[in-house]
Amino acid sequence: MRLALLAMFMVVLLGSHAVAEPVDFARDVRPIFAKRCVGCHGPKKHEGGLRLDLRRTTFQGGDSGPAFVPGTSTGEALKRLVSKDEKLRMPLHEEPIPAKEIATLQAWAEQGAKWPEELAGQDPAANHWAFRSIQRPAIPTVSNRSRLRNAIDAFVLARLEATSSTLAPEADRRTLVRRLYLDLHGLPPSPGEIDRFAQDASPNSYERLVDRLLASPHFGERWGRHWLDLARFAESDGYENDNLRQNAWRFRDWVIEAVNRDQPFNQFTIDQLAGDLRPGATLEQKVATGFHRNTLWNSAASGDKEEFRTLAIKDRTDTTGMAWMGLTLGCAQCHGHKYDPIAHREYYQLYAFFNKTDHDELKLGDSKTSAPVLREGTRPTRVHTRGSFLQPGVEVLPSTPVFLPPLRPRDAKADRLDLANWLVNPSHPLTARVAVNRFWIHLFGTGLVPTPENFGTNGTPPKHPELLDWLASEFVRQGWSRKAMIRLIVLSETYRQSSVAGMKETDSANSLFGRQNRFRVEAEIVRDLSLSTSGLLVTTFGGPSIVPAFPEGFLDQKFTAEALKMPGADRHRRGIYIHVQRTLQHPTLAAFDGADGNQPCARRDRSTTPLQALTLLNDPVYVECARSLGNRLLSPGTTEERLRHGFELCLSRSPKNRELVVLKDLVSTQLKLGMKEEVVWFGIARVLLNLEEFTTRE
Amino acid sequence: MLHDRRQFLAKTGGGLGLAALATLLAEDRLLADTDPLRVRPTHFKATAKSGIFIFLVGGTSQVDLFDSKPALAKLHGKPIPESFRKGVRLGQTTFAAPVMQSPFMFRRYGQCGMEMSELLPQIGACADDIALVRSMHHAAFDHAPGEIMLSTGKEQPGRPTMGSWLTYGLGSENRDLPGYVVLLNGRSPKARSLVWGNGFLSASHQGVIFRGKGSPILDLATPKEFSPESHRAQLDAIKTLNEFRREETGDSKLDSQIAAYELAYRMQSAAPELADLSKETKATKEAYGESGFARSLLLARRLIERGVRHVLVTHPEWDLHEKINQSLPGICREIDQPIAALLKDLKGRGLLDSTLVTCASEFGRTAITQGKDLATAGRDHHPHAYSIWLAGGGVRGGQVIGATDELGWKVTEDPVHMNDFHATLLHLFGLDHKKLTFRHQGLDARLTDVAGTVVKKLLHA
Repeated sequence: MRLALLAMFMVVLLGSHAVAEPVDFARDVRPIFAKRCVGCHGPKKHEGGLRLDLRRTTFQGGDSGPAFVPGTSTGEALKRLVSKDEKLRMPLHEEPIPAKEIATLQAWAEQGAKWPEELAGQDPAANHWAFRSIQRPAIPTVSNRSRLRNAIDAFVLARLEATSSTLAPEADRRTLVRRLYLDLHGLPPSPGEIDRFAQDASPNSYERLVDRLLASPHFGERWGRHWLDLARFAESDGYENDNLRQNAWRFRDWVIEAVNRDQPFNQFTIDQLAGDLRPGATLEQKVATGFHRNTLWNSAASGDKEEFRTLAIKDRTDTTGMAWMGLTLGCAQCHGHKYDPIAHREYYQLYAFFNKTDHDELKLGDSKTSAPVLREGTRPTRVHTRGSFLQPGVEVLPSTPVFLPPLRPRDAKADRLDLANWLVNPSHPLTARVAVNRFWIHLFGTGLVPTPENFGTNGTPPKHPELLDWLASEFVRQGWSRKAMIRLIVLSETYRQSSVAGMKETDSANSLFGRQNRFRVEAEIVRDLSLSTSGLLVTTFGGPSIVPAFPEGFLDQKFTAEALKMPGADRHRRGIYIHVQRTLQHPTLAAFDGADGNQPCARRDRSTTPLQALTLLNDPVYVECARSLGNRLLSPGTTEERLRHGFELCLSRSPKNRELVVLKDLVSTQLKLGMKEEVVWFGIARVLLNLEEFTTRE
Repeated sequence: MLHDRRQFLAKTGGGLGLAALATLLAEDRLLADTDPLRVRPTHFKATAKSGIFIFLVGGTSQVDLFDSKPALAKLHGKPIPESFRKGVRLGQTTFAAPVMQSPFMFRRYGQCGMEMSELLPQIGACADDIALVRSMHHAAFDHAPGEIMLSTGKEQPGRPTMGSWLTYGLGSENRDLPGYVVLLNGRSPKARSLVWGNGFLSASHQGVIFRGKGSPILDLATPKEFSPESHRAQLDAIKTLNEFRREETGDSKLDSQIAAYELAYRMQSAAPELADLSKETKATKEAYGESGFARSLLLARRLIERGVRHVLVTHPEWDLHEKINQSLPGICREIDQPIAALLKDLKGRGLLDSTLVTCASEFGRTAITQGKDLATAGRDHHPHAYSIWLAGGGVRGGQVIGATDELGWKVTEDPVHMNDFHATLLHLFGLDHKKLTFRHQGLDARLTDVAGTVVKKLLHA
């Protein structure tokens, strides 16, 4: 009864306040929030996901919707204040607040809900470095101009000079050529190649080498694999049945090809997230949407299939967040993000873009096969209360978090194409920064931001923020060209530094990049190096994956029987072509921290374990490599000539005297043990392929 | 100084004894604080040093083995009452299926009088050492998600398993063997390597499979062309050349690499020695029995005796969707004697107090059948209430924790979620589950996800 009266009173007020005095936030509104609301919706408690002490979170709203919508009285807060439902009415379990105060809030909202910037509140999240727009910084001046090859060096050197330090000397030419080959191709240079480069005194020999490497299709294999890590690429469903996905390799080949033709990263993004929605979408653009077909699927689900469908949509949401924005969106599945300004409801607004998708099999003209792709469907989205698909909350429409630039949909209903366009709009603060940081990781071993998976407030901030921003703006300026950026970085003096000089001195973590880093190559590349060096590598591009034999007695799985039948030389293809079974990673790759495709992988671990030693010493593939390399070394020549040849093949350099002595001793020891010559050289090859330097990018 | 000694060692080749090499490497380990398996201090006093986790793959039936429900007899063949249906999700079966009483009797065992099936008399005889938890629950009711939940605390793939967290938190006492060993029997769990995977921890924390046939660890055997002497000579050359590189680069990562090769070498002899059961007495071998599973449990004891942190032993075929009455006795016979022998053996050697033995499944089974013909019926998956048991490692034996309703359908007392179980497991090892974290994707990830409470009743007062 009392409520009904109040409601009537409100109607009267609503009619009357049109001529009300202008409402002032500081004088009229903030005291009401402070007195009535902030106890439950403030810094300590965020009931219903709502905080009214900060400007941003107030307009972000709570789990059931925006609290105030400027210019209208449709906000959830106003509805709740006058609700007749005791379970909904605010303040909960208390008397309603005075009608005059409600009228004030109402008038404030209708007058545009003005909240002055200076009163926005202490909101560290909104002010976080990575969420601010990218400003192209001025290139700093440095004292030692002789070391400047491009802008990168100016930024790095300026920071170093500020700590009375400088760049490490340039690495020798043999190290440089090997570094470039490993970074850009993941394959070793041939001894002839090394000699030619080492002796080429022409001023642009380095540039020519870089351009040649960037133009080779091996570049796409190397850099495509980096992207496949983020795409959690695999060729099976995961979970119990873990059924094979026969045509998943189409997406892998699309990535390699897109990287090789240097498809601009903005187009690369749009194709993968929304290629099917592009006007007049081509077959390739549709195949690109295989990116989000890489989600897991539990085909054995005995209960509600919806559980695993929603898990796949969450995976698409989270993977998009990590791959393009370096955000840990998944933390907002159950409640507002603990560290970053992402509301629970906003998570489901992003989720709504993918919730509409359906699966399709695209028939390919050239054969009877097809490719897994996405197709737009229709499906409404509700917030999952506490993350549970069994507890649907309010309905939400596809949209993006308010702390990022506004989404500008093409029409009333936003879709994945709008989302993709939003991500690659140059005003987006994260996409370009996250992308250039990844380029840096693969060329220095660590990122300018050491946490590539997390650019949020809980990640590690960059020591070179200006350089990161300059690179990000340069990336956009260069038309989002991946190759242009990689070329820029590898041509820098910073990249060409020695990785060993000054290692024992200050900045042992090398966070200022006053030298290069030496680090172990990834699991696939360990294999590629051995196969290539021993002359066994088969460099066929693309097509269905290979299944190297699983060790006998390792697991009695359905896959292995077929695997053992793999014919001939096929099994010596590059690691990127090895079939990825989600519940059964090949042990030789697992030993070297390979990516298993169950989750997006933003950086590979680099562990050192005895199992790695056993793998390289004794695994059939590596034994085969050693035997083959041993035979390669058997060509006519003295012991020393053979050893020199082996050293150059494996390490791209000549042996030092003391190294020769150790190996000559080993030759004679083995001969004394009565070993046949071919076995002796098999043993020498085994040693060379097991040296730390062999699997290290210096 | 150390370096000089290494060079000395390198020059003298394989002439030095293994002991000297081991001492030298122990010193290296002290230097190499990057060694991921070095022994680390606990958060507080541990009662368990090692764990043997017996995973009964497929889902043991609590109402047939661990949780006696006389009310099932009254409802046998009838539909389950309405009151049990609300809010319960089912897997493959439906509420049209009838309730089924257990085809087997329960008995009281031990001084404590713990009730367990007549099918497990020898395990029952150890009841006074066993803490039986009848109130386990979680929400994953398919095999792979259930196995991943049991192993990692969450249903979705991608996280480290229990043994990985233990070696990450504590290291391993024996560096001639892996810190985390996996012994598989019969078909693998459905989630395969995710049940012993390292998730986002480094590969150093992977469970390492010991194989029943051939060399126990993958790639353990040196190629047949090389004699032990030539193999060692090659390793010495690798070591010396790596040491040269260490000197030239100043990169301490090379120390880990050098240590890893020496560990691999010692593993090559330690693992076959471990797998060789010829030194075990006839009495011990007979106590365990002849089966592959029995051999696994004996190996498990030998592993933890040597300081290995965690051993996972699987036993297959508990997924009885049909013919429970015909199949269960035989399967129980396969585990009853070996598990009882393990408990007695550990106790006899004074190892039970420091070894946590856990026997668990990914979930339990339904009180209603799957299939209408009661003569051939089985039971469906049931994660809402089921039983596991623990013994040793500081667990107070001879007690039952938690209870379920009259059909073993829902937990009514002392619920133990999987996260609670994991919190307790870590606690026994002296680790605070909230402090054992690894920064992953912006969060301090834990074995217990965002929940978990230690089950105090399980611990000794």
